[in-house]
Amino acid sequence: MGLLDNLLLGLSVALTLSNLFWCFVGVVLGMFVGVLPGIGSLAAISLLLPVTYHLDPTSAIVMLAGVYYGTAYGGSIASILLNLPGTPATAVAALDGYPMSKQGRAGVALLMTTVGSFVGASIGILILMFFSPLVVSVALKFGPAEYFSMMLLGLVAASSIGTASPAKGISMVVLGVILGLVGADIESGLTRFTFGSMNLYEGISLVAVAMGLFGVSEVIASIREVRTGVPNRHISFASMIPTRDDVRRSWMPMLRGSGIGSFFGALPGTGGVIASFMAYAIEKRVAQEPARFGQGAIEGIVAPETANNASDQTAFIPTLTLGIPGNVVMALMIGALMIHGIVPGPQLMTKHPDLFWGLVMSFWIGNLMLLVLNIPLIGIWVRVLTIPYQLLYPAVLMFVCIGVYSINNNAFDVGVVVLFGIVGYVMRLLDLQPAPLLLGFVLGPLLEENLRRALLISRGDFLVFVERPISAGFVAVTAAILAWSTVRFIRNRPTQEVLEAE
Amino acid sequence: MYLRDYRDVFAGGLLACAGIFVALYAARHYALGTLNQMGPGMFPVWLGAILAVIGATILISGLLRPGPEFKPDVRPFVAVIAGLVAFVLTVDVLGMIPAIVLLVAAAAFAERPYRPLTVLILGAALASIAVLVFRVGLGVPIEPMRWPF
Repeated sequence: MGLLDNLLLGLSVALTLSNLFWCFVGVVLGMFVGVLPGIGSLAAISLLLPVTYHLDPTSAIVMLAGVYYGTAYGGSIASILLNLPGTPATAVAALDGYPMSKQGRAGVALLMTTVGSFVGASIGILILMFFSPLVVSVALKFGPAEYFSMMLLGLVAASSIGTASPAKGISMVVLGVILGLVGADIESGLTRFTFGSMNLYEGISLVAVAMGLFGVSEVIASIREVRTGVPNRHISFASMIPTRDDVRRSWMPMLRGSGIGSFFGALPGTGGVIASFMAYAIEKRVAQEPARFGQGAIEGIVAPETANNASDQTAFIPTLTLGIPGNVVMALMIGALMIHGIVPGPQLMTKHPDLFWGLVMSFWIGNLMLLVLNIPLIGIWVRVLTIPYQLLYPAVLMFVCIGVYSINNNAFDVGVVVLFGIVGYVMRLLDLQPAPLLLGFVLGPLLEENLRRALLISRGDFLVFVERPISAGFVAVTAAILAWSTVRFIRNRPTQEVLEAE
Repeated sequence: MYLRDYRDVFAGGLLACAGIFVALYAARHYALGTLNQMGPGMFPVWLGAILAVIGATILISGLLRPGPEFKPDVRPFVAVIAGLVAFVLTVDVLGMIPAIVLLVAAAAFAERPYRPLTVLILGAALASIAVLVFRVGLGVPIEPMRWPF
């Protein structure tokens, strides 16, 4: 099938009434949680995972994806108006967005970030559309050795790049893989680490782990921290019109931002946060008057927002073509697909072309919806900012409980959430990141399966991982990252302190 | 500031203990097999050993350097966990609506002052939303109310 046929197939799937509806639900919820500080896309997607049990797989993934890229649009509103980042990836937009807002140019800032977000997302989707088939054609030749090395690279990269302590990140991955062992072993049928409980026969539920780590512990930590402010500012249409100078200054940063974002999005282990900080740093370096940055330079909000949105779209490339999540949200997406018995990987595009292209086309529709939600309806979102957290967190807890309970009508599952809520809060106190744990948890079973198969084929010879060229490449990059992390660990100085904001 | 980074000391210690436990438990209970034909115990033993080593490294490095102060926010922690536990214990016995009201009532202790009327209204509102979204909207068979007597 040619690309055109695929696009038409995708459109026919994305334009069905139910998929349009769930796409709309996703982007609206994404905007909502993006605007509200204290609830991120991770918590929101964790909360929605149980709902996906009751939907067909395409609608489920279309909705979750909508939440994901919707938050990137919404997050900048709080950054610009209140100097409170709605999400970590939009924190950098506050550096110049808030000064613009104080100068009475909030409308222009909001409009230009929306336009930038749309441009970034569009370029990201185009790259996704053209590169995915290429990646798949390479990946179809992968054997278990390549898969194992690639997953290892993904896990090591995600846990050590951009974190203050690589040792802690990697320890979380290992802990996650261990938690993923619980339940029946695929090959021998023996149950491991269930301690006699029948409830654990099928393993610990991903939904319960995600909700405990990202929902409950986040609520506990935010109750005292989150302060909602009141932006008593009316954003009129007239105030949104950019000057000729704004437009002239913006289009190059948008293109550069899209490039940077697309690159970091597709690279496993990095994502929107790194992309947006990098885009800002580069704009500051190429600017003719760097002193304007921090004083309300339009380039300083457009570039990072564009990069952030571009990376959100290209993050789907490794997820959908290789089955390797580039970040934790993608790990949850993979989890959602697996709930429906669909294993993401090179076969996804050929076995489920309707899902793949339907999802890609829904990105266009979702981004168009977001454009409408952001420009004419901006006033509503400004008002959402004023919802007090005191009303919000009981609602989050309610969704956690009923959502998890509804999967199997089993209170045991909610008990697991409580346990992981406690673990998550202790981890937060000890500065241990929950994201690598979840990545390890999702990839763990696949990691073990491919390791066993690779060693079975090679008769127990570990050289198989370096004798095959593609696998050797993955191993070499993994080793380089580990060596670099070790050097950092010995020097004991985080190189990129800005990234601790993550 | 503390003289040592106690966050890393605790984190490393806990992780090292977890790693040792996993490795020993797997080695005792599951067959290791050979590299050629790995048994169910091989992978967990390795993982446990790796975790123990990394945990010990984090612990030692934490002892060697100063660290920031940290203290838990006990009140919100206890209130939220108590609310969730109340839900777990009551949902099968009393049904969804009372369980949600109890959850909201307990979790609201996270903040001061406690406003009983607000909490009651919020609990009732959230319970209705839950019934509408999950039972009516998604068709999940959860009993809204049960009479245990």
